[in-house]
Amino acid sequence: MKANFRQSMAGLHTWAGLLPGWLLFAIFLFGTTAFFQHEISRWMRPELRSYAVSPVALDAAGQYLQARAPNAGSWTLSLPSDRGGDALLVSWQSREGSGGQGGEADLDPATGRPLLLRDTRGGWFLYRLHFDLHYMPVMCARYIVCIAALTMLVALLTGVVTHKKIFADFFLVRFRKGQRSWLDAHNVTGVLALPFHLMMTYTGLVTLLFTVMPWAITANYDDDDAYYAAAFPSGPEREASGKLAPVRPISVLVARARSEWGGGEPGYLRILNPGDTAGVAEMWPKMGALGTSSPSLYLGAADGVRLPSGAQAGVARQTQHVMVQLHTGAFARLTLRWLYFFAGAGGAVMIASGLVLWTVKRRARLPDPDRPHFGFRLVERLNIGVVAGAPAGIAAYFLANRLLPVGMEQRADWEINCLFIAWGAVFVWSSARPAKRAWTEVLAACAGLYALVPAVSAASTARGLFPSLHAGDWVFVCFDLSMLAMGGAFAFASWKVVVREPAKSARRKARGRAESAA
Amino acid sequence: MIDIAVLLLVLAGFGFLLMAMPRHQQDWLKRKLSQAHAHSLRLSGLVMLAAAYGVSGRGLGWAYGTVAWFGWLTVAAAIVVTVNTNCGAIMENFRFRPSRKRDTSHHLGRKSC
Repeated sequence: MKANFRQSMAGLHTWAGLLPGWLLFAIFLFGTTAFFQHEISRWMRPELRSYAVSPVALDAAGQYLQARAPNAGSWTLSLPSDRGGDALLVSWQSREGSGGQGGEADLDPATGRPLLLRDTRGGWFLYRLHFDLHYMPVMCARYIVCIAALTMLVALLTGVVTHKKIFADFFLVRFRKGQRSWLDAHNVTGVLALPFHLMMTYTGLVTLLFTVMPWAITANYDDDDAYYAAAFPSGPEREASGKLAPVRPISVLVARARSEWGGGEPGYLRILNPGDTAGVAEMWPKMGALGTSSPSLYLGAADGVRLPSGAQAGVARQTQHVMVQLHTGAFARLTLRWLYFFAGAGGAVMIASGLVLWTVKRRARLPDPDRPHFGFRLVERLNIGVVAGAPAGIAAYFLANRLLPVGMEQRADWEINCLFIAWGAVFVWSSARPAKRAWTEVLAACAGLYALVPAVSAASTARGLFPSLHAGDWVFVCFDLSMLAMGGAFAFASWKVVVREPAKSARRKARGRAESAA
Repeated sequence: MIDIAVLLLVLAGFGFLLMAMPRHQQDWLKRKLSQAHAHSLRLSGLVMLAAAYGVSGRGLGWAYGTVAWFGWLTVAAAIVVTVNTNCGAIMENFRFRPSRKRDTSHHLGRKSC
């Protein structure tokens, strides 16, 4: 019974790990970059040189909106994170029925003057890619990601049962032992960061809770809208009075929010009916410290009087909020963010080594190793195409950011296309080559692409590695050094594939035979 | 600062847990410790991991400290695994210097008594 249980768990682990494995690898990889999405955005917007939002800029934003769109139905201000990376984004929407046009503008976070930034989605895109995927409807992507995450949870739990010796062999890695080494690498990256993997997979599912578990809503509410109205109460409804009154300076409204939230920063502002005595300023907080959440705040836009807001979030919503905070790691300061990053990278290595292990294990048992069956070849090609292709895509995304002309039409979309073109190219290339050669070549190509990023950046902007070092701009310095480190890591991996001795198992068998004969 | 203290504590904790395992005693000490010694090593290791949690929680706040503690656990375990994997090479280096070797064996002998 016991052996049967473990065997069935092993089977489940193999297939629950393999089938969504490639998608999970991509999710882990892009999700791991998302811990540094603001820093990536900073690097991808080299024209942006100031990051913290000043009161001067907030007031200038208000004046800008007043000048550009005095009769708009609403104004919105999106405040950049305190880690920077984004401009102070203002936009306006025309009043319903007025036939006017909406618009938006990037403002300098320090001065409030309009900025000309290259069109890019920055680190935000890599973050969205890890649960919205791309080239498909968002909801469809989220179903796929949810199912993959559920399978991941199954694979993690069955993995603990399957690799029963992980706790007995907790500290053990045996290198240069073929299949055994892959198994150890898989176990070690899995077990050492197991709390992280379990937490991430579970809280990841919680962030997309109602995608696969909509029944809590359908059982208790008439429709989705009724649920959202109850769970996320909207602010006070005030009709425009038609009497004019100027909007209070934005910096005053923001300062008011700070004091109401005990230091919490607003991340998003919307002013309904600006310029009217009945205008309403709605403010939503940024993600704060772990375990804290502030309710949105409503003020009279003209008089600054606090307006009643909806009900406080219930216990379930607060619990969900903490889980989302744990998942995004936005509360983490620099040291802890690097720990998140390394654990995430460990997760990607765990998935990759598990995928490779599948082929290593089966290669020895192939009837004819020179002509493997279709399934084996498919897995082998997908492994190369995804494990080396996705990182190559990220490098291409960064390179495109520097190389595409600044005035190009739909530039941001083309940066993203470049990511997938490079990824696709790795697939095509690797499918045309013998497996070992393909690994060597695409890993070397990855190394080259990553090494190129700082070089191209230095050649195309004034913010290369050395000027940044000189200016003490540590985000740019660390970004460039991280790219070089990635390049080094891929070069090392490529070299390891070259020097690897493939006939290990055959030789061991021969030695065993010789010993038994003696 | 708190982070460094937590890291050192969990490193020591995992080091003790490593030395509580007979297989690794064989690798590092070239002999096996008694059951009682292994038991007290394991206990000390666990106490250190728990102490690190206390330090992390008191120093960084219990919510933040818990997340940080898990992170440092992973890092420390990874370091101990790396060191243990290179056990052969590290022992080799000791063997090259005879005077050092005497020191270590003396030291280790005292530690295990």
